[in-house]
Amino acid sequence: MNLLEIYDPKAAPRPIGIDLGTTNSIVARMRDDVPTVIEDCDQEWLVPSVVHFDPRGIAIVGSSAKRLAAADPSNTIASVKRLMGRGADDEETKRLGTNEFVVPTTEDEKKTVRIKVRDRLLTPVEISAEILRKLKQMAVDELKSVGGAVITVPAYFDDAQRQATKDAAKLAGLDVLRLLNEPTAAALAYGVDKKKDGLFAVYDLGGGTFDITILRLDDGVFEVKSTGGDSQLGGDDMDRAIAEPLLSRMTNGAISDVPVELRRAALDAARKVKHALTDTNEIEIELPVKGGGTTSFRFTRDELDALIAPIVERTGVACRRALRDAGIKPADLDGVILVGGSTRVPYVRSYVAKVFGREPLADIDPEKVVALGAAIQAHQLAGEGDKDELLLLDVLPLSLGVETMGGVVERILPRNTTIPTGARQIFTTYADKQTGFELHVVQGERELASDCRSLAKFTLKGIPPMPAGLARLELTFTVDADGLLKVDAKELTTGIAQTVEVKPSYGLGEEEVEAMLMAALDHGEDDLNARRLIEERVEAERVLFATRKAMQTDADLLGTDERTQIEEAAADLDKAIAGTSANVIHARLELLDTATKAWAGRRMDRAVAQAIAGKNLDSIEGDVAHARGVDAHVEEHARRAEER
Amino acid sequence: MDPFATLGLEPRFDLDASLLEERHRELSRVLHPDKHVAASGSERRMALSRAIEVNEAFRILRDPVRRAEKLFEQHGVPTGEASQSKASPALLMEMMEAREELADAARAKKLDRVVALGAAMQEREAALVAKLAQAFAAAGDDKQKLGDAESILGELRYAKRYLDEVAAFEEALTE
Repeated sequence: MNLLEIYDPKAAPRPIGIDLGTTNSIVARMRDDVPTVIEDCDQEWLVPSVVHFDPRGIAIVGSSAKRLAAADPSNTIASVKRLMGRGADDEETKRLGTNEFVVPTTEDEKKTVRIKVRDRLLTPVEISAEILRKLKQMAVDELKSVGGAVITVPAYFDDAQRQATKDAAKLAGLDVLRLLNEPTAAALAYGVDKKKDGLFAVYDLGGGTFDITILRLDDGVFEVKSTGGDSQLGGDDMDRAIAEPLLSRMTNGAISDVPVELRRAALDAARKVKHALTDTNEIEIELPVKGGGTTSFRFTRDELDALIAPIVERTGVACRRALRDAGIKPADLDGVILVGGSTRVPYVRSYVAKVFGREPLADIDPEKVVALGAAIQAHQLAGEGDKDELLLLDVLPLSLGVETMGGVVERILPRNTTIPTGARQIFTTYADKQTGFELHVVQGERELASDCRSLAKFTLKGIPPMPAGLARLELTFTVDADGLLKVDAKELTTGIAQTVEVKPSYGLGEEEVEAMLMAALDHGEDDLNARRLIEERVEAERVLFATRKAMQTDADLLGTDERTQIEEAAADLDKAIAGTSANVIHARLELLDTATKAWAGRRMDRAVAQAIAGKNLDSIEGDVAHARGVDAHVEEHARRAEER
Repeated sequence: MDPFATLGLEPRFDLDASLLEERHRELSRVLHPDKHVAASGSERRMALSRAIEVNEAFRILRDPVRRAEKLFEQHGVPTGEASQSKASPALLMEMMEAREELADAARAKKLDRVVALGAAMQEREAALVAKLAQAFAAAGDDKQKLGDAESILGELRYAKRYLDEVAAFEEALTE
């Protein structure tokens, strides 16, 4: 692996947007202010999310891997996205597929699916990282140097699925600027292109996931009102439903014990049937038969519709709930935007029209639109767009809660809460001299914890021994803009911050990701150090650029001494960047952080005062004077921020 | 946290909904983490905690029950479970009967009836919000009068719980 590819000092790093899909993946970027997909050397932009491992164990990704899938299905993995953040005993792993899943023997092994490929056991995170590496390479070939990336995820992805996606990006050596919800990305591309405000529904049916999002576009702000969906529902399920009768024909009714090659062939034929019946009403296909030879099979649009109807109709439940959560009726909508390859299926379109009582919009390629939105957001986050122009306000897709006595869930943050968000909750000990506390955090809408998705178990230690009910533990739950949860704990009687040991219920531990990272690099530790140096440089340059820009726009909020200190700290950091020590860069960055902290607080106060006063008021001068005198207030905020 | 102060709004019950939305939007433009991606660590943390505060304030003020609770709290009028006992027996009885009627309709799988009952309660909820707004306006800072207004809040809570049940039944019946 070539490390220089992400830090070429001659080429300015360019931000990219990635749609990491179940069936296909796409990488896009901004070219002359227009979002554009990136093509590979064969002029293809749609990269099949298929990974094949050749006899040497080298990963082949995309079209070539897809071609190898039929001949060597057990060493080829498709639709790995459906396994992200899933446990080894999850229902999903037991469905019709062509890969061999490892039966878990320990508790740790149960936390993530492992697939046996040749002599290796691979996790979905590692396989997704191969797809991301391929996309990154395509971007590097076109842009010379790649900066931060925005990666899209289904809005309905839970915490474990989001974390798994982030881990895969880390493994692929990508600097993740943000995880962006797919429907929001689509709305962004749509809104930027059409420049039309209003209330929209985004119906996103992909290869393996379904999302429905209701959002309002207003003057560049995309405010999600509600979201819902099913992270295990998509075109794959249609293929499986269509494959059943085909497989039955291919084996003369003996469905059990079918060779994987035949299964693969049935799934491929199913996809062909689905695609062909988009434009025609009838198709005849040739199928291989168990034991040799072929047979022909006739399929009509009506037969197809009957097979997929139960799957498509499952989306209606989520649509109605999203409308109800947003407090609107279909007639209030200004449009319904179609996203995802599966929305090309005529039955899906007519069903959407029925649910929302209007013809859906599909004038931007539903397959490209998510990647294009991601590219716009990446451009914006890299500070290259007009800073005030766009803003995405997204929501928490599933309620967060903790398990209480009797296995009942106490809801802490309800679904559709705007993120970032947070909540504080007080817990108390129930036994005398209790020094530890265990907390089970779950995500979902059901009343019993066992019916929700387990996120993590938190173990708090070091509570001073006290009679039952006296120790008061304050837990702070924070959900960041990526939709990821963080928990902090404090014992209120003594004020001691507690050590919180987090055991995620699903996914990989931090050490496991580090170990995979080491294994993926040719020279282990040396490469890892080199990568850290690059990452610290990128971060330092980013902060320096922003600081210097702010020193021009907000110079009036700087004291003379303060300015000198910041300039010195910045100059020191410049020198460190030219050097080769990641630790020195890190330490100098911290010093710059300290020097700019109070000033940053004043800048934020002024910006807040301006936002409250409104843009067209002249009273801003007064607010500025106020902002200058609010150091104490700033300190207070900073302290509170630290505590969190 | 004072949600009114966080959003720079005058503490009153009959808030201008569009102004509330606008404040939330404009403050988000300034504080959202996306606007501080390139900033130093402490600035990012500061923006995050303030963005969370703004979102929380917005969530409280958008909800008439929680907005009223905040105002009562600021005036030192006890609310919540402590004052539930003040709910009149007549209201309790009426609500119990109403919920039974709703449950019966759901059991009989009469979706239209559930929807109709929901619509009726929605109207009643809107009337209660208007009544509460009037009571707040009339009470001013008078703690005694505010205490009387608090009883409307209890009724509003019942209406909300009823509507949650309607939503759950509707969902179950349309699945």
